[in-house]
Amino acid sequence: MSSPLAASSASCMLFDKVLIANRGEIAERIQRACRDLGLKTVAVCSEADREAPYGKTADSFLCIGPSSAAKSYLNKDAILLAARLTGAEAIHPGYGFLSENAAFAQAVEEAGLVFIGPDSKSMATMGDKISAKKAMIEAGVPCVPGPDTALPDDPSKVEQIALEIGYPVIIKASGGGGGRGMRVVPEAGLLQDAVALTREEARQAFGSPALYMEKFLQHPRHIEIQVLCDSHGNAVWLGHRDCSMQRRHQKVVEEAPAPGIAPEIIGPVGAACVKACQQIGYRGVGTFEFLYEDDAFYFIEMNTRLQVEHPVTELTSGLDIVQEQIKAAQGISLIMTQADVQCAGHSFECRINAEDPESFMPSVGTITDISLPQGEGIRVDTHIHAGYRVSPYYDSLIAKVIVHAPTRAQAMEKMRKALADTRIDGISTNIPFLRALFEDSAFATGETDIHYLEQWLKQRSKP
Amino acid sequence: MSTIDFSDPEIIAFLTDALTSAGVDGVEISAASGQLRIVVSADGSTRTSVDTSVATIAIKAPMAGIFRLQRPGSVDIVADLPRPVSATEVLGFLRIGPVLVPLTAGRPGLMTRRLAQPDALVGFGDALFEIEAQQ
Repeated sequence: MSSPLAASSASCMLFDKVLIANRGEIAERIQRACRDLGLKTVAVCSEADREAPYGKTADSFLCIGPSSAAKSYLNKDAILLAARLTGAEAIHPGYGFLSENAAFAQAVEEAGLVFIGPDSKSMATMGDKISAKKAMIEAGVPCVPGPDTALPDDPSKVEQIALEIGYPVIIKASGGGGGRGMRVVPEAGLLQDAVALTREEARQAFGSPALYMEKFLQHPRHIEIQVLCDSHGNAVWLGHRDCSMQRRHQKVVEEAPAPGIAPEIIGPVGAACVKACQQIGYRGVGTFEFLYEDDAFYFIEMNTRLQVEHPVTELTSGLDIVQEQIKAAQGISLIMTQADVQCAGHSFECRINAEDPESFMPSVGTITDISLPQGEGIRVDTHIHAGYRVSPYYDSLIAKVIVHAPTRAQAMEKMRKALADTRIDGISTNIPFLRALFEDSAFATGETDIHYLEQWLKQRSKP
Repeated sequence: MSTIDFSDPEIIAFLTDALTSAGVDGVEISAASGQLRIVVSADGSTRTSVDTSVATIAIKAPMAGIFRLQRPGSVDIVADLPRPVSATEVLGFLRIGPVLVPLTAGRPGLMTRRLAQPDALVGFGDALFEIEAQQ
């Protein structure tokens, strides 16, 4: 991949050995980026991942704990110990696991190592939804109508806030995420029970009863803006993605750019995201997530890490986002400006999951044979191979098929062919479901909302 | 008041020494950040994990560290194998910074293989010795 936006000098190299605190396809992806930058890598694993292929190509490979993620990939002390034993000077958290854990980022900093991501302070600011919303409002990023403070305990004041926003409203846990800890309230009579229930759930699930309230949008799309920032106050946004194809709040297909959004509408929003990053001193890559309805954007949250779907932006922008993230952590200055960012063509990503294509129950077992698509404009990010054992311990994502073509219609056609050429034997996968989805006419037209996939699945399951 | 960092190897080493000299066989400390449990056996060695499911058992590393056959300052002497070992015999050590974790056989038997080289970096669960359990 070309890197016309390569950063300035290599004289400020802070580290040359990176510990990759993750597993699966993203561990493989980060290792590739490190290798291309001439950096040494340390791969870590749980007992279930001892045979992971990226272990064989890493400079060091160390088992850090049992198969349970809590005792291995989420074990901060075990990861810091592995860094100390192997002489790693930086830790890349990937996505999931500890990637958005501000306490871990702080522990890495206190150990004298470099956390490849934002510093713990800006991560903590953006990790709390109330403080994030406050920071976004200050930077002029459009937010969903609702106060940027936690809901008061006084029921009459809560009622007043809901009236000012206008029904329907949504109650959310301040520390929540991933679709958990939220409740839609269609009318005033249901408000107090909803607040009490969500508060108790938030207390139990996230350790904090803090809630906030927003306007509930009925038919929004999920749109993301990717940013890249150095540690010297320079920042750019790298275009936008549409991640509205979701099942149970989990993204299934992503595309870039988001179809049907005029540059004059999204341009000011991208610029506001850049300004927000500069105001909070953000470093590295990050994603601003928005709901989009009736030509208006509403900020939901910021993901202070690499996203699963980063490849679609890589293929449209021509940038290696993982390499740029590592360079930012090394203290290298961006020499690019917003005018240098030129996104071209259209890209789709399909998440290939080890699961039943009808029931979506996870599928475990050994892959007996595999055939992956190849060709111009086709990329597959994966760690699996024939003989690989899919374990029951982790997320079911086993591969990502990504395509790029000049137009959206051509990219859809390329994905249809790529999916037709993908075969994974020995376990069940969601490939048949993805093939059917890419034949759907509404999806082909574009601009479907975040509820579309659930409705489509309901229609399919009707006799 | 400052908080003690129980993940600090130097703190763990200090506590282990204090327990040994006081004749206490173990301590468990609970803090907001987690739990620390140190168990000192009669000969002063800490407990290690032992796989007992088969007649030939593997002595595995209880955590990641640098494998040593002897204490620092001693030369690693590779003894001839096979040789009989007692349950409490210290077969080697894991060095983690200033902390030395003794590795005991756990049961009497015949040590048939040594599976890690001295000064090798070993991970959690890596097999270090093989012992044929005494019938």
